[in-house]
Amino acid sequence: MSIEPLAPPKKPKRLPVLPQRGKLSMFEIALFVACLVLIAVELSQNLRDVMVLTFLFAGLGLAWNIAGGYAGLISFGHAAFFGIGAYTSTILFVSAGLTPWIGLWCGGVLAAAAGALLALICARLRGPFFILSTLAAAEVVRIGALNWSSLTGGPEGLSILPVANVANMVFVSKTAYAVLMLAYVVFVYAITKALEGSRYGYYLFAVRDDEEAASAAGVNPLLVRTAAMGLSAFLTGIGGSLFAQYFLYLDPTFVISPELSFQFALLPAVGGLGTAIGPVLGSFLITPLSELLRSYLGNAAAGLHLVIYSAGLIVVMLYFPGGLAAALNRLGRGWKRKP
Amino acid sequence: MTTLGQLVISGILIGGIYALMSIGLTLIFGVLRIVNFAHGEFLMLAMYGAWAVTTLLGFNPYVAVLAIVPAMFLFGGIVYRIIISPGLDKPHLVVVFATMGLSIFLQNVALMMMTADLWDVPPIFSHAVIVGALRFKAELLLGFLITILCTVGLQWVIRATYLGKAIRATVQDGEAAMLMGIPVPRIFLITFAGGSALVGLAACVMMPLFSVFPTVGLNFVLIAFVVVVLGGMGSIEGALIGGICIGVVQSLSSYYVAPAFGQMFFFILFLLVMIFRPNGILGQKGAATIGIND
Amino acid sequence: MRVWLRLCACLFGATAILLAGGVAKAQQPIRIGVLLPLTGPFAKNGIENWEAMQIARDMINERGGVNGRKIEFVQGDATSPNAAISETERIITKDGIKITTGSFASPLAIAVSQAAERHGVFHWETTGAAEIITRRGFKHTFQVGAPARKYGQAAVDFVIEDVAKRLKKPASDLRLALLWENRAFGKSVGDGIRAYTGIKKIKLVYDEGYDQFATDMTPIVQKLKDEKPDVLIAISFPNDAILFQRKAKELDFNVAAFIGVSAGYSSPDLRNSIGDMVNGLFVADFPPKVNPNVLKPDVRKVADEFYKRYEDKMKRPPAGHAAAGFSAVWALFTEVLPKGKTFEPDELREIALMLDLPEGSLVNGSGIKFTNFDWPDDPKDAGQNLRASIGVWQWTKSGNDQVFPPKLATHEAAMVPLPVWSKR
Repeated sequence: MSIEPLAPPKKPKRLPVLPQRGKLSMFEIALFVACLVLIAVELSQNLRDVMVLTFLFAGLGLAWNIAGGYAGLISFGHAAFFGIGAYTSTILFVSAGLTPWIGLWCGGVLAAAAGALLALICARLRGPFFILSTLAAAEVVRIGALNWSSLTGGPEGLSILPVANVANMVFVSKTAYAVLMLAYVVFVYAITKALEGSRYGYYLFAVRDDEEAASAAGVNPLLVRTAAMGLSAFLTGIGGSLFAQYFLYLDPTFVISPELSFQFALLPAVGGLGTAIGPVLGSFLITPLSELLRSYLGNAAAGLHLVIYSAGLIVVMLYFPGGLAAALNRLGRGWKRKP
Repeated sequence: MTTLGQLVISGILIGGIYALMSIGLTLIFGVLRIVNFAHGEFLMLAMYGAWAVTTLLGFNPYVAVLAIVPAMFLFGGIVYRIIISPGLDKPHLVVVFATMGLSIFLQNVALMMMTADLWDVPPIFSHAVIVGALRFKAELLLGFLITILCTVGLQWVIRATYLGKAIRATVQDGEAAMLMGIPVPRIFLITFAGGSALVGLAACVMMPLFSVFPTVGLNFVLIAFVVVVLGGMGSIEGALIGGICIGVVQSLSSYYVAPAFGQMFFFILFLLVMIFRPNGILGQKGAATIGIND
Repeated sequence: MRVWLRLCACLFGATAILLAGGVAKAQQPIRIGVLLPLTGPFAKNGIENWEAMQIARDMINERGGVNGRKIEFVQGDATSPNAAISETERIITKDGIKITTGSFASPLAIAVSQAAERHGVFHWETTGAAEIITRRGFKHTFQVGAPARKYGQAAVDFVIEDVAKRLKKPASDLRLALLWENRAFGKSVGDGIRAYTGIKKIKLVYDEGYDQFATDMTPIVQKLKDEKPDVLIAISFPNDAILFQRKAKELDFNVAAFIGVSAGYSSPDLRNSIGDMVNGLFVADFPPKVNPNVLKPDVRKVADEFYKRYEDKMKRPPAGHAAAGFSAVWALFTEVLPKGKTFEPDELREIALMLDLPEGSLVNGSGIKFTNFDWPDDPKDAGQNLRASIGVWQWTKSGNDQVFPPKLATHEAAMVPLPVWSKR
């Protein structure tokens, strides 16, 4: 991957059709409008549930992408940040009565601190070494949460009483959750977009693509990396709090599981690493697919839905390596070439 | 004193088992520079194989090696052709997710075919080996000896044979090796299949000690990762040392601190090694910091 | 004349259609959501439970259903707590289910009831045991199985009232050890035993939890060996139960009595895995089969039919949790639903709270009486069945015998003290 040459500054007369780095495009606006329409139309509760999850995971994929896609920090420990965020807001809410509207920011900040710490610990590691170290770090957090039961409820988990109340961020209608999750996606998306166009974004690409050259040019790679991991963890932590408010039940074995970390990384990988639209497209494809496969095939034979899902995953990974974003671009180019 | 001795001896012996199941992973890791996330499921598959040969045909699990090792070699070759090889020239994450997909796939195929039941083979030796006040299972001791033999044998293959030379050349500089006429893709294929065959060996040794079920790989795969990185990527004797370290650390920390934290200590040990000695105990210099595939 | 004939025919036809419609309406099935782990680590037990519940459904439908309406199950795969929530949400929102049941393991029960309560759905928990299930102030969650503390109490009572006498030691002099697996059920039972032994003034010489992924039991067994307990109470899942027993044999760790609690030690597979090493072990759990004399006569008939069908289908007798699953849904079909008219959760809740069935009313010897924020021991508790039976049974050469409490027992406890490994 290489740095795109800086385009000469020219005033765009109209928005580009397809997503471009640092710029808003018609495609993105259309997608957002489509999401709003989806929220507005009457859907079955089940599809609403799928929609909420799709939005939530799109946001989490975007958050992971800042570290994994933009800074090249392929982390398989993001479930730890997710768990820290989820547990922080929930503990503050359940035992101190602090509204999750504030608690989620506290969770985000704690997760960011953990993320920065992990980036410092793993500063020298690359490739599989980085992957496995983040995986191990998340396991340490999981076992810690499992054993610190006076704080986290241990293996019995923590429950939030399902009493709907806007101040408690607990709703009856899934539409409210869908709006909340969509707002989260837009928030993370906006940060990603701003990052892409900013000076710091270029530092990130520089460090990811050629660390020596970047540091020769006066960029401090360690600082850039730590900040990227911190930001990514912050946004993941917020996602964790939102998850807690939606599911109302936390259990370390799930919330801090390696499977969840893989899921976060999978969405950008399928959608297109290092692009803003990638994780969103990834989640729009993968999340509904896995939920619907389970709900339609789960009864047929135990494990069948996962066999199909994983076979599909292998094929997609091997034959669409650039992800959906690259496929979209190819499609766009082909479309432009036609008269 | 007896307690300490027992803990250390048992830790070393179980560490030998951990090492044996990790050697295949470290070999693949060292030569192809990829992490096979389906490693645990390869083990699970081979354990089902060993169980089937033992139970249905009435052989001893150690005899089952003769069937399982070639079978796993073949299986590894097929997986390499279908999944690994097409992903090698693509970004690193592709192979990671392809093998992860394979892991979910194999787990659920096993679930559909074998159900979630636990399967065991009857113990081979009815009595434990007793040395003074220390006791341990003969199967564990045998497993440890097989690990040592396997390590030495593999070292010999790598040091002394033409294949070994070709493998070493590929590890040092793939492009140069290619120019020298070494068929690098075939070396990759042989290494991946060979690594899988070693998992088959490990499975036969483990079958008398552990039950097999579709998710058994999850219990071991993280240990294997830690062993491999701790010992140093691609280092076979490193895997042995790493395995023994993990076994002893797990044994002592569970006794003296609390068994609920069992795995936490070796993950912390792992992170400490990564911070202070990122190439592992016997790894290639700079391996951890160069990264791979880029 | 023709006109009349036609008119009559029309009227007749219309009536027939109306009647058929009416009948069809009356015979519309009652749909119940069944949340069980059918894949993943708990799948084995989940599938056994599912078989038992299907037998209950078939039996009630063959008897004409509930007030003429057949029972229909909608299945959800509750692999993990998260999947349990999604699946519960799915069958509630997609299939419009108002009654759910399941879910075998405590973490799943916690998750399923959480999702059900959010939608105001009536959840009839069959086997989940963790105390927290009924202590969250939920209105529509009813736990028919015993709470975790009861498992521990049964084990400790058995030690005090039976084992101590056989060992000819006062209970307070017994060295009691407690080993628990660090998951929701193990921890909850462990907490219960710790509290109960405190009340009974028995000291625990060993009290540790271990991680579910433990692959080496040496440190645990060695530490136990150093502590020399007389009696060990262990809460394990199948894989660790096997590992523990093998390691105990390897290191020659002997106790005078070994009491496993539920899950790992009650699974019929244990004998396939470790063979005759199971003989003499005690298990505190739902009774797989109780002394038929404690059952009401009509219940005894149902019990006979259930055990026969289960054995025909699965080629082995049901484990305690499967019998409990059957008992609980059978009670739902015969005690709760027939009294319903609308089958709305609030109505079912009222019916459930009115239930007052003495012990022996369910196939596995349980009765039913739910708490409703009125239990003096714990006023936060709602929807917990106080009459679920938990007993102790023993693995024998040929099967298993119920040995405690005396009322449910079919046999006397044997092999106390347990012979040392070299003599087993």
